[in-house]
Parts: sequence; C-alpha cells; structure tokens
Amino acid sequence: MKTLILLCGLLLTVPGCKPAVSTPPAAAATNQTFSVRGIIQQLSPDHRHVTIKHEKIPGYMAAMTMDFSVRDTNALAGFAPGDEITFALVVTGDDDWIENLQRTGKTGGVSGPPGWRAVEPELSVGDPLPDYEFTSENGRPVNFSDFHGRAVAFTFFFTSCPLPEYCPRMNRNFAEARNVLLADPNAPANWQLLSISFDSAFDQPLILASYAGIYRGTNADRWLFAVASTNTLASLAPKVDLNFWRESGSISHNLRTVVLDGNGKIFRQFDGNDWTPEQLADAIRAAAKTNAP
Amino acid sequence: MPSASTNETNPAGRGDEKLFLVIVLALAAIAGLGSWFAADALKRHDDLREIQPDKPRRLENFSLTDSAGREVTRADFDGKFLAVSFLFTSCSLTCPEVTKRMAEIQNLTATNDDVRLLSLTVDPRTDTPPVLAKWGTRFSADTNRWRLLTGDKAQLHWLIGTSFLATETNNPFNSMPGNFAGTERIAVVDQHGNVRTFFDGLRVETPAAVVAEIEKLRKEK
Repeated sequence: MKTLILLCGLLLTVPGCKPAVSTPPAAAATNQTFSVRGIIQQLSPDHRHVTIKHEKIPGYMAAMTMDFSVRDTNALAGFAPGDEITFALVVTGDDDWIENLQRTGKTGGVSGPPGWRAVEPELSVGDPLPDYEFTSENGRPVNFSDFHGRAVAFTFFFTSCPLPEYCPRMNRNFAEARNVLLADPNAPANWQLLSISFDSAFDQPLILASYAGIYRGTNADRWLFAVASTNTLASLAPKVDLNFWRESGSISHNLRTVVLDGNGKIFRQFDGNDWTPEQLADAIRAAAKTNAP
Repeated sequence: MPSASTNETNPAGRGDEKLFLVIVLALAAIAGLGSWFAADALKRHDDLREIQPDKPRRLENFSLTDSAGREVTRADFDGKFLAVSFLFTSCSLTCPEVTKRMAEIQNLTATNDDVRLLSLTVDPRTDTPPVLAKWGTRFSADTNRWRLLTGDKAQLHWLIGTSFLATETNNPFNSMPGNFAGTERIAVVDQHGNVRTFFDGLRVETPAAVVAEIEKLRKEK
C-alpha cells in the first residue's frame, strides 16, 4: 500500500501522467486541442502550474478542479485567482498543457456556492437518485444513467486512505461480491459496480486505474473506478448521508454503500463496514430484477 | 530559506554541481522545517486564550439519546457547568484528540458534582448508541457524567448551529459535516445555560484552562 502511494506520488510529479495518458489510442498519434472555460483557483510561484476549476470538457473530462501546466511561463503573467478564463488544452500522446489563456471576467472569490450540504435532503429506499457525472479511470465522463437497466452498487473511497477497515475493506467486499456473482450461473448479468473516489485533487485517472488493478486484477468486467468532483459530492453526499472532512492532509469519512435498481431508485443502503460481500451480492441480484420499463 | 538562496549564488566546482544541488536542497529543507517549527510554536503560544462565542448563545431545549440508549434533555443539565465537544466517530485525527482533552477534563473535575460533559455527534446514522458506547469506552468515559449524544440528525445539527457554532459556506471538504466552524473547540457553558467561552480542543493546555474557567464562573454568583 505504501509503495503504491509512493508510486502514485512519483507518477504525479512526472509531466504527462495526467489524463492525457488515458486518451483513446486513436488520439495518441496527433495533438488534440480542447477549448475550455474555467476559473483560476491558484497559481504556482514559478508560474509553471495553475489550478483551474474548469467546466466540462466534452468528450474528454468532467467538470473538476485540477492542476494544469503551461509550456511558456509568460502565459500566466497578469493572471490572478478568481479570474474567469478561456484556454486551450493541448493533449498529445504523452503530454498535456494549456495555452492561449484569455481573461473573460472576474468572480467575487474562489469559494463555491453557498449552503453546500445542508440544503439537500437525505433520500430513503425507493427514492430515485438524481443522475451524477464522475470522471472514470479512463479519463472520460461516466454517469449513473449510463447504467440504466442495470443494478448499480456504488461505494466511496480514496486511494491514499490509510485505514484498512475503511476504503480497502469496501473495495475488498466489492471484489468478493463480484466474484460471487460472476461465478453464479443463475445470477443476472445486468449489474455494475462503481467505486467512487472523494479525492479529485489526487486521484487522477491513471492513479485510479492502477489502484483498481489491486482489487480487480486484469478483469475489469462490470467494475469501474471513478472520481467525483467537489461540486458533485456537495450535492450527492447529503442524499446518501455520506460525511467527509479533509483534515490534516487526509480525508475522514463515514462509509456509505448504495445499491440502485435498474430504474436508478435506491434499493438498499449499507452503512459502515459491518456487512458481507454475500449480502451485497444478494441485494444486487434482487435489485437487478427491477428492470427499466 | 534565505540561507539556501545565498548558497545558491556561491561558485561551486562543476563536477560537484549535483552534490551541491543536493546540499542546497537539504539546507532549504532544514531551514524550511526550522522556520515551520518556530512559526508553529509561536502560533500555539498566541492561540493560548479563550475564544468568545460569535454572538450570545444559550443551550437550547433538546431531546436526544445517550450512548446507553437513555433519553437526555436540557433539563438534565439545569444548574450544571458543562464542557461540550463535537465529533463523528469516523473522524480519525481531530476527534480522537479533542476527546482526549474531554477525558482529561472529566478526570480533573471528578469530584465536582456541578460539572458535566457533553459530546454531540454530527453523524448520527453512523454513530448509534452502541457505536458511541464503544467510543466512550476507548476514552474511559464515565457515561453518567459524560453524556455522548446521538439522535435525529436535523435536531443535532440545529442544536449545534443554534447553541454553539457558526456555519461556514466554504468548500464542503474544509469543515466537519454540517459545515460548522470551529468543531475542534470545547465550549464551556455556565450554570445558567449561557455559552461563555470556547477553548481549542487540540491544545494540551485546554483541560486546565477549562477547569480554571469553570472555577472563575463558579465565583460569579
């Protein structure tokens, strides 16, 4: 585990180990350029990196806050946190950077919308869960609605979670539940597992993919790893009573695992870590029978 | 940091450039660490003082459940001094530290029948009475004097937000669930139910400060 975290850390310091690596193979040979809008959150003192809260990049990445690098350090001259900008994201086979930054306006501050969590009521079994978008381990957007007609079991984790009875336990249980279902010839086939990371600052797609391999092996059948933006979590978390708090560099959080039926309604919720892979597999079997109309 | 940048301008043998760089980086790290420790010590010294409530606050009426499953209301604390903390048991860094301070306050006030302790969870669906009981055992809580309270989430959050802490509207990652500001603090409530003072629950000096504050308030009458 420690080795993995170290490896992840090293990977992050190497330019080009961001989503660019996970672009479709077809794009590997040529440069891709995306026009993006966003708000500057932070500039590195050497003006080589900038943290931008950016809008969705269609066909490439969900809306999220992340670091970008520039090739020309003059590109960031005159910009400040709070600036609304447009820019071009250039993605090659092994690198990515931004250029052509233009200021389009200035926000009052860099904080998010008010009333983050308390405004969203907690949902119960039978309630439809609104659709949410995440960034998957392959760098592309993924939505709950992508799995319409399938039972979806999702849980939350982050890759540098140090406590074995928290995130690792959740993903181990997912691994065993998947084994149970895949090995059962009578089990339904319309189900999907989704492990969702809290940590959009660190858990870039490549990190997610490498972490997924630990629990999933080489067989990715019906189990996807993804990361949620802070905006997504602000709305989704209270609906499923998920609590989290970034303190002293780590993330404290409770454990919430949810099974949706084929119509996207909450079928079963597992709180804490005191549940078994067999119970999850049983819930998925039952939820999968509720097919889309 | 300044020492590192001065060294950087010194001439160095070309063959030793790499070694030089390593030394510079090491120096920078040491200088950085030194000033960090100094700044931290200074900050800790500066912070050693009571924190006033942001506005007049009183312990409101409530009906919640303690770690033994007993109903607890505002009336159970009439005429008592209170030390109050906030937690959720999945919180792995701040909450255990603050709870240690509460345990020390419990021990320091063991013979004072007019002092009670109260800990409120912000995550009641996780922190059921048995979960809070386990948490209490971990910190040797005498659950007759130190009540760990759970119950309806809306009521808990309302009570914390009304009687004790302001809420923040910043990034939801930056504050304890419920977006409360200053959840690491321990509140002191006087015998009339007024929230008088907060102390930083992460500081080792806080238990003694809380006891001194209660002694001061006791003389007020």
